[in-house]
Amino acid sequence: MARPIRLDDVRKEYHTAGTTHVAVDDLSLEIPEGSFTTIVGPSGCGKTTTLRMIAGLETPISGTIHFGDRDVTEVRPQDRNAAMVFQSIALYPHMTVRENIAYGLKVAGVSKVERDAAVDEAAETLQISEQLEKMPAELSGGQQQRVALGSAFVQDPDVLLLDEPMSDLDAKLKAELRVEVQRLHQEMDATMVYVTHDQTEAMTMSDHVLLLEEGRLAQFAPPGDLFDCPVSQYVAEFIGTPSTNTLPATVEAGDHGPTIVGEQFEIPAPEPQFADRIGDSVTLGIRPQYLSPDEGDHRIRVIVNVVEQLGTEFVVHGTSVDGAHVNVVDENVGEAGADDELSVGFDAADAFVFDVDGETICHGDALGAARSASTSQ
Amino acid sequence: MLGLGKGAAGKYVSQRTQERVRRVAVILTALLVAVFVSIPVYVMIAIAFQPSVTTFRGGQVNLLFDSFTFDNFILLFTETGTPRYLFNSFVVTASSTLLATALSVAAGYGLTRFEFRGKTMAARAVLFAYMFSPIVLAIPLYVIFFSLNMLDSYFALTLALTGISAPFGIWLMWQYFQTVPVALEESAWIRGASRTRTLWEVVLPVARPGTIATAIFSFSVAWNDFTMARVVMSQNEMYPITVGASLFLDRVTIGWSETMAAAVLMSLPPFAIALFLQNYLLQGFNVGGLE
Repeated sequence: MARPIRLDDVRKEYHTAGTTHVAVDDLSLEIPEGSFTTIVGPSGCGKTTTLRMIAGLETPISGTIHFGDRDVTEVRPQDRNAAMVFQSIALYPHMTVRENIAYGLKVAGVSKVERDAAVDEAAETLQISEQLEKMPAELSGGQQQRVALGSAFVQDPDVLLLDEPMSDLDAKLKAELRVEVQRLHQEMDATMVYVTHDQTEAMTMSDHVLLLEEGRLAQFAPPGDLFDCPVSQYVAEFIGTPSTNTLPATVEAGDHGPTIVGEQFEIPAPEPQFADRIGDSVTLGIRPQYLSPDEGDHRIRVIVNVVEQLGTEFVVHGTSVDGAHVNVVDENVGEAGADDELSVGFDAADAFVFDVDGETICHGDALGAARSASTSQ
Repeated sequence: MLGLGKGAAGKYVSQRTQERVRRVAVILTALLVAVFVSIPVYVMIAIAFQPSVTTFRGGQVNLLFDSFTFDNFILLFTETGTPRYLFNSFVVTASSTLLATALSVAAGYGLTRFEFRGKTMAARAVLFAYMFSPIVLAIPLYVIFFSLNMLDSYFALTLALTGISAPFGIWLMWQYFQTVPVALEESAWIRGASRTRTLWEVVLPVARPGTIATAIFSFSVAWNDFTMARVVMSQNEMYPITVGASLFLDRVTIGWSETMAAAVLMSLPPFAIALFLQNYLLQGFNVGGLE
């Protein structure tokens, strides 16, 4: 029975040699029941600590954690009806695969016959039926992780927690297991929380993404929102590969109202957000995917440093003539070579504007609206 | 720069030379082992299984087998306190091995998994205790057991021997438990297993090589002990075989043959253990960094 997970002002500190390290800094959010939520962020941002607190392996120093209506803040991990898959896989080396998968059921006192039936079903789902009588050491890394998923599956948990389960696997296995994990999510009635530092996993697998920044919530939203409507420069730069380009600019009073002026562009800005920011420094963010040699209302010139080919696309790493690092992802830049000058364009509707603290002032929609308003005058 | 191979630490040595040096080293080691281990063992067996008349025929020591007898052993069992000594040895060794292993497992697990004030101090104290020679502890322990009125008891000797073997055992288990990933335990807890159950069903099976190495070490300390038995036991019927056998030599009727027969008896249990548990022993000590 899936349950929502609610965190209220959850805080965790570690004390080592007299210094206090805040791992999780008053985190509050509600993970919807039955959802697949990914916690993502750079290493050390508190994502694993958050997961371990949900599992009960760590206790917050303040704040509460609820599974549904039940306060589990002080409940032992044994009594939370959660399952967890670890980065290190954590199979018991002295038990066969079958015994590994069934261990939780054995602890719960389920009869041998029922255990075997549950294991067989899980093994079939995960395509490891042939491996059941082997020892974990005889399996490949991918098969071992399937066994770990199987153990979680037979538990029928309310909450399934996965702590970077694929970080030690190669790319091809990752792709296979991603599908496997998503299928499990469909078959299980459980709220899934998945920790990863790989944003591709986060963006492709989940309904909700929680991006953490130094223990604080940076943004908690569906993957598409994180990509299209980042709440801050940090989110915009973390989500998306390559990272969002940032260009310095200033808000100036133009003839038709406030204008965002950079070295190579002038973009009309909407009155409501920018009227009282005249003179402020801002940062314009534009995703490499939205820069194109052929299109766009605003153009910037870029000196090409390196061109990478990724299948049908090219990634150009360049430097804009005013010195900012600029990446371009497009299908049509193949002709450009190192040291060439490339003119790329973008639509204001695809850009973000951040203030000096990195908070988002507005997304492209507002900028696009401002443009059409100003051009119609 | 001739002679400096890429990536070589120091001077370049050809593959051939390395191979030759390796072979010479192996042969030398084998020779040393043969001279100092195999030959004494052979001499022990040769003397123990031949009548002393044969061994000392013609005023010389004859070490080539030309007859075979159990007479020396029969004499040991009928004329001396050997059965009693052996029994004492077994009782004390078994109880000390059990106690030291249990202690080492408990303390090693605690040192590995729990943070507590003075943990580093405790760990250092354990290693420091291991540095003591048994004879340093002998007199203080005698005083303690004397004032507790516990001299001449299996219990006292068991405790004394555990005091010698436990520090090393604790240290070994502490090292070994560090190689058991804590995720194994956490995974069991989340699946509902209590801490105790996890210890029995997950941690201990995984740590078995370390536990067995600890048990073997405690066994060999207890079985081979002479000092502590000499200090704690003063009655003939309480002596273990080590002390008992040393007394044979003082008796006119007992000669080399019987002493060597006793030596064979004493060697059998360690030999059997080394034979059957050598894999565990190697695995256990490898982790402790004692390759």
